[in-house]
Amino acid sequence: VMMAAGLCRAFGALLLSAAPRHSRLPALPCASPLGLPPCLPGAVLAAVRRGLGCSVPRCTTDPLWKCRVKYTVRPIGMKKTGGRDHTGRIRVRGIGGGHKRRYRMIDFQRLRYEEGAPPQPFTEKVINVRYDPCRSADIALVAGGNRKRWIIATENMQPGDIIKNSSHIGRMAVSANEGDAYPLGALPVGTLICNLESHPGKGAQYIRAAGTCGVLLRKVNGTAIVQLPSKRHMQVLETCVATVGRVSNVDHNKRVIGKAGRNRWLGKRPHTGLWHRKGGWAGRKIKPLPPMKSYVNLPRVTAQE
Amino acid sequence: LFQGVRQAQWLTKTKLVEGLPPPVLSIIDNPAHQLEDHEERVQRAISHARFWETTEVAPRREHYCPVLFEDLIHLCRLMSVKYPSLTKRMLARNYRISATWERESILLQVRGQNGILMNSMAPIPPVASKEEILATEEHVLETFYPISPTIDLQEVNVYKELDDTGKSSRFRDGYPYSYPHTVFFLESANIRPNRFRPEQLRAKMLMFAFGNALAKAKVLYGNDPKVLEQPIVVQSIGTDGQLFQFMVFQLNTTDLVSSDGIKNLVWIDSDQNLYEKAQCIPEIKKRVVTKPAGIYGFQPDTFKKFLALYLHGTV
Repeated sequence: VMMAAGLCRAFGALLLSAAPRHSRLPALPCASPLGLPPCLPGAVLAAVRRGLGCSVPRCTTDPLWKCRVKYTVRPIGMKKTGGRDHTGRIRVRGIGGGHKRRYRMIDFQRLRYEEGAPPQPFTEKVINVRYDPCRSADIALVAGGNRKRWIIATENMQPGDIIKNSSHIGRMAVSANEGDAYPLGALPVGTLICNLESHPGKGAQYIRAAGTCGVLLRKVNGTAIVQLPSKRHMQVLETCVATVGRVSNVDHNKRVIGKAGRNRWLGKRPHTGLWHRKGGWAGRKIKPLPPMKSYVNLPRVTAQE
Repeated sequence: LFQGVRQAQWLTKTKLVEGLPPPVLSIIDNPAHQLEDHEERVQRAISHARFWETTEVAPRREHYCPVLFEDLIHLCRLMSVKYPSLTKRMLARNYRISATWERESILLQVRGQNGILMNSMAPIPPVASKEEILATEEHVLETFYPISPTIDLQEVNVYKELDDTGKSSRFRDGYPYSYPHTVFFLESANIRPNRFRPEQLRAKMLMFAFGNALAKAKVLYGNDPKVLEQPIVVQSIGTDGQLFQFMVFQLNTTDLVSSDGIKNLVWIDSDQNLYEKAQCIPEIKKRVVTKPAGIYGFQPDTFKKFLALYLHGTV
C-alpha cells in the first residue's frame, strides 16, 4: 500500500494557489493563516503567481509581514518601524533610515522535529554560513531529512559540517562538539554554550549576540546554573537545550565604524547635540552581583517536614 | 533540486557517464552526416536570433531563445534531404507529462507542462551494450546523509496516479509517432533568478527524460516493475540561448523500489557554449571601436552534437 501523501515535482506546472497569500513557491493549498484581513495591499497580491527560483519583493509595506505561519527558508521583505509604536508616535529615539533588509526566518528551537519524525537525536549538515543583516551574528543554513532551516552559526562553523541535536540525558556527560545542541543535563560542567532557553521547548532567547558565550557552572538536582555574558547567574531546568560553542562573528565588537555614514546605513539616527550636565545615573558603578535568576518552580519545602 | 544531478540520480536510480555515448560520437565524426557550409548557416541563425529579430537594439532572452531553437531545428530538418526517414518526426509543444513511480516506499511523481517533445515513429536503439548494463549492478547510488534525497520536493496528496504522455489526454493508441525521441528545454525567462542554473537544468532534464521513458515503458510493458530487455532511450537538450546541455538517458529497469540491481544510465555533456558573446552594439572605449558588433567565440562542435542527437536513431 503506497503512502497516501505522495511527493510531487512540478518544475513547469504553475499550480495556482487558491489562497491570496504570500506564495513564494507554488503554495500548498492548506497554508493559510488565521485572521488575515480580506483586503490585502496590492504588493502582496502581485506576489501570488510566481515561478520557481524567484525571490520575494525586496520590502513590503504590509504591516502584517510578521504574521507568516509557515516556515520558509527564503528571505521575506520587512517593514521598518522607524522607532514608532502602534500609536504612530516615536517611542524609541534614534532609529530610522538605513539599508533595506530582508528577514530570514531563524529557527531558534533546535530540537524541532520534522513532521512525522520520531523524537530521537538527529543530525543535520551545514550548507552555508552567511551574514544576516538583522543581527550581529552570522546565520547558517542547515539541512536534515526533508527540510532546510536557518540557525545561528557558532564560531568555526564551516559549510559541510555535521551537527547533532539530541534531547537525551545520559548518566555520563557527553563530550560535545562545537555547534551541537544538547540539553544542559548532558553537558559537562564548564562548557561554553550559547542559544540558551529559559524553559524547555520555548526556543533560544539568551546568548544570541555575536561572540557571546555562557558558562555552565554547576548542576544541582534537576537544574543547571549558567553564567550569562553579563555575569548574571541563571538557574534553569536541565532539560533546556543549548548549543555548544561561542556565537559566530567573534570580532564584531572590535570593528571600527569609521564614519557617521556607516551608522546611518545601520539605521541609527544621530543623537541630539544639546549638552546636558549628567546626574546621578552616569558614571561607573561598583555593586554586588544581582541574585541568581531562577526559572525553575521548586515546590516550597516547609520547615516542619 | 537541492543537490542537482546527484539527487536526480538517486531518485531515478541512474548511473552517470560523462560525455556522449559512442554511437552519437561516431555520428559526429562521420562527415557524411554534415550539412554543407553548416558553420556559416549556424552563424547566420545566431545572428538572426540575437540581432535581427526585433526593432529594439538587443532582443531579450524570451525572444531570442525560441527563435534560435526554431532555426537550429530547421537546419537539422534540412538533412532530411539525405535521409527521408527523418520526416517521420513530429514536435509537440506545451505537452504535459505525468509519470509516477515508487522509490523505497516513497511515491514520486513527475508532472508538468514544460519543454517541447519530439516524437518519432521508430524508437531509438539502445545505446549501451549488455555488459555495460550488467556492470551497473555493482554501482552504488550515493546518498547524502543526513539529508534525505527527497528534500526540496513538493508534497502533494495523490488522488489518482496518472501515466500519460501527451496533451490533456494521452496520445491515443495507434498514434503513428509514439516513441519519445528528444525533449527540449528552453530557459527563456528574462531575469536571472527566474531561470534555472545549469546544474538545476541538468537535473530537470534528467527527471523529465526519465518521466517520458517510464511512461512509454508502462505503455509497452505494463505496470509491473521489471528489467527491460529492450531498454528505452530518450534524449534531451536544454539551453538558455547560449549554453547547451546534452543528455542521453537509457531506461534499463522499471524496478525502482530497491536501490540494488540494474540501474539506468545517463550520458551527460554539459555546458557546451555555442558562442562566447554576441555583441549587439560595438563596444567603444575613448572614441575608438575596440569590439565591433558580431559573434565571438563560435564553436561549431556544439551544433554538430545537436545535429548528431537529432539524427541519432535514424542513421
